[in-house]
Amino acid sequence: MLTIQLTINGAAHRCEVSPNTTLLELIRDDMHLTGTKRGCDQGHCGACTVLLDGMPVNACLMLAVMADGKQVETIEAAAPGTKKHALQQALIEEGAVQCGFCIPGIVLSATALLEERPQASRPEIREALSGNLCRCTGYSRIIAAVEKAQERGRTNG
Amino acid sequence: MSDYKYIGRSVPIHDAQGKVTGSLRYAGDMVLPGMLHLALLTCDIPHGIVKSIRTERALALDGVVDVLHCFNTTKERFNRYRNIHGQKLINQEEIFPERVRFVGDRVACVIAETPQAARAALPLIEVEYERLPYATDAKTVIESGVLDDMFEDGAVYPAPELINGEQPDLTGTTITQTQAHFDRQSHVTMEPQACIADYDPLTGQATVYSPNQSVNGLRTVLADLFDLPYHKMRVVKTTMGGSFGSKQEWMAEPVALAAALHTGRPVKIVFTREQAMLSTITRAAFDGKMTTHVTPEGKVLSVDIETVIDAGAYLSNSLDYCIVVSSKIFRCYTFPYVRYNGKAVCTNSPVSGAFRSWGTAELYLLVEHHFNELARKLGMDATDFRLKNIVKLGDVDKKTGVSLGDVRIGDCIKQGREKFGWFAKRQAAEAFNAQNGRFLRGVGIGCGGHGNTYFPRREDFGAAQMRVSEDGTVLVNISLHDHGCGTVTAFQMMIAETLTIPIDQVAVGEADSSVTPFDLGCFASRTTYVLGRIAVDCAEKLKDLLVATIAKADGSEPEAVKIQGGQILAGDKHYSFADAAQYALHTLQQELTVMHQFVADSNPGVTGAHFAHVEVDTKTGMVAVLDYLAMHDIGKVINREITVAQIQGAVAMGTGCALTERMTPNKNGRFTSSLKDYHLRNCPEAPDVEVEFVEADSIGGPFGAKSIGELSLVPVAPAIMGAVNDALDASLSYLPLTPDRILKHLANGGESR
Repeated sequence: MLTIQLTINGAAHRCEVSPNTTLLELIRDDMHLTGTKRGCDQGHCGACTVLLDGMPVNACLMLAVMADGKQVETIEAAAPGTKKHALQQALIEEGAVQCGFCIPGIVLSATALLEERPQASRPEIREALSGNLCRCTGYSRIIAAVEKAQERGRTNG
Repeated sequence: MSDYKYIGRSVPIHDAQGKVTGSLRYAGDMVLPGMLHLALLTCDIPHGIVKSIRTERALALDGVVDVLHCFNTTKERFNRYRNIHGQKLINQEEIFPERVRFVGDRVACVIAETPQAARAALPLIEVEYERLPYATDAKTVIESGVLDDMFEDGAVYPAPELINGEQPDLTGTTITQTQAHFDRQSHVTMEPQACIADYDPLTGQATVYSPNQSVNGLRTVLADLFDLPYHKMRVVKTTMGGSFGSKQEWMAEPVALAAALHTGRPVKIVFTREQAMLSTITRAAFDGKMTTHVTPEGKVLSVDIETVIDAGAYLSNSLDYCIVVSSKIFRCYTFPYVRYNGKAVCTNSPVSGAFRSWGTAELYLLVEHHFNELARKLGMDATDFRLKNIVKLGDVDKKTGVSLGDVRIGDCIKQGREKFGWFAKRQAAEAFNAQNGRFLRGVGIGCGGHGNTYFPRREDFGAAQMRVSEDGTVLVNISLHDHGCGTVTAFQMMIAETLTIPIDQVAVGEADSSVTPFDLGCFASRTTYVLGRIAVDCAEKLKDLLVATIAKADGSEPEAVKIQGGQILAGDKHYSFADAAQYALHTLQQELTVMHQFVADSNPGVTGAHFAHVEVDTKTGMVAVLDYLAMHDIGKVINREITVAQIQGAVAMGTGCALTERMTPNKNGRFTSSLKDYHLRNCPEAPDVEVEFVEADSIGGPFGAKSIGELSLVPVAPAIMGAVNDALDASLSYLPLTPDRILKHLANGGESR
């Protein structure tokens, strides 16, 4: 077992992990943060997307030890007044949520995009979500929700 | 348009908040005290006999509780598809068979204290097989007879021939034959199959929590498998991360319950993506042949259809599936004479099963391709050709004799081609193709029709119960199984509209076999049409009870009391629902509650026409969808935005089915089992889809609503296929039209007709 120190949703943690424990296993099975979904465990679906130092990553493709010393943000992180919160509200209002299994990953991928490029164009939004598969919506309402959150960001900022 | 307060408007779905914040728990997220974990071992040979299983090394691993397999688990057979007690089906399947029949068949499961220990023990199980000859496609099975001893009754199951109508005079007609094909396809629900089974040896109570479409069907299958009394077998539906048919059959639950009964502890199983693709169900590989006689004016007089459904390794529902294909022939078009023959063929492939539209998408792939060929042959426009053969207002479904009511496929085609700019786009594509070498454009139309209920094919009925709380809020008890497309919210809207109260004063639960009234399940596109009707009628009954109660309290005649704006009015006095509930409670000493049962007695035509404009890159074989319009004859939309989104999702799914999605075997008989190789549309590739409705008051359903969820998939692949063929001046009908297949066609000089 190895000892790692990392910050998850703003709180410092010291964890004992085996060398082959994935970041997803650490988050879901050890920390019980089940908002991060396991859709394929192979890096293809994006349902396990979390932010690592602000960058979206597939938690299933990272070993927990690779997060040593880093900041991890999962869907559970409190978000009042943030871009993430604006996105979550827009997804609800725009009818972008159906079965919802892909949604936490989509929220975090889109949050990272809007933090980096608040004015992202529609093709850039599509590209930023290219690693997050959704089987229910056809993505149209999701894109509309990201654009709505952008719009609100402009009027608020 | 209407003075409805909720119906036809847009309301966010009831659990959206929990989904965007990650706080909502799916079965795989749930934890029960003392819970154990399962990992499933599936076989890696396509056909064989399990000679021995050695579990010593697995059992020695820390945290492993036990290993279940074919030599220590019930041999009772079941059918994964059974959804009602007494359903006539062939039981071929065991939880762990001694004879394994495909790569992905269940061999054993490890029960352990942690998911890690369960997974780690899998490679330590030693299985010795005797290999048997195998075949992974129906043609080989039929021609070689290699699987004749796969089951007691062989591997080929013909459907009874259907003949409808009299063969008319065919003088002057032209005969045409075409074929169409779908490869095997995966549902790819983002949530893989998962469930928790619990068993209390002291009380004998068994409980299963799973995202399933029929708590009552599943309850009886599980109870029969393990010889449990039905009242001690409870199934609770959990939040469902998508289904598209894949969660109406039982693959995970029997394994989990076997382990719970064995250990007397709760046990959780979560399928891997590979298992979700190989070891659950898939859409059958489909082959169809269609032969018609058509008049020079474009009226099809005689139709002969032959289909082959590749059932996979267990027959399950494939014979029913094959028969049901013929039930949809008269839902969109009408022909004087039809002959239908089909067969389901077992192969050493992943098991086929329910897939959104239940064979209708396959039927209309065949029909729409054929119609494109006929239109071309006769020099007619593809949309005009269809208008010559569609069902019309007041027609009956010729197979069942039941009225199609206000079926409006004609409006869909005519209004759709207008909105889409069909003729202008066709002309522009021709001009574009004359100019440009590498990229070619084309347009295509796809039509289809579906049902709203099982009626009259088999029994279809249901029930609802409503209770008014002391504060006037309403509790609704009904066996809903929300797939994630907003069923619960649609029901809140319909009930709130009927009772004239705010949506948030209506609580609608989901199915729990020990609590909610009996229902068949949420499939067959029956949820809104049948259960919605039951909910609305039940709410009307509740209104009558509220009126009668206030009449008593007020000392007035019931005729003088009415409900309006959430208030009960008796003369100039206003009472609330709470007043009525409290009067009943304290004075009448009874709960304000009603129960309503209903048997479905109608099934109007529900249709759609889709229009696609595509561009084919002749260098890469890639197809881009430039414009897309989905036009739907829906009766009445209940929740507008979510209905539009559901249709947009169907178009993305259908585009994948048309262009890229396929499960094929490798040289060892293992089918595609990863999303790396199984390509569904992602965000940059998904088409922009415009959705329009033809709305009219239909009869039978709530507020005039008809079905949409399954139908919306039906026209997609035909529309895309038609557009690709229009672009390439080709007759490709072997789907999906992958870049490889398109390039092969072009390399062969473009000859395909």
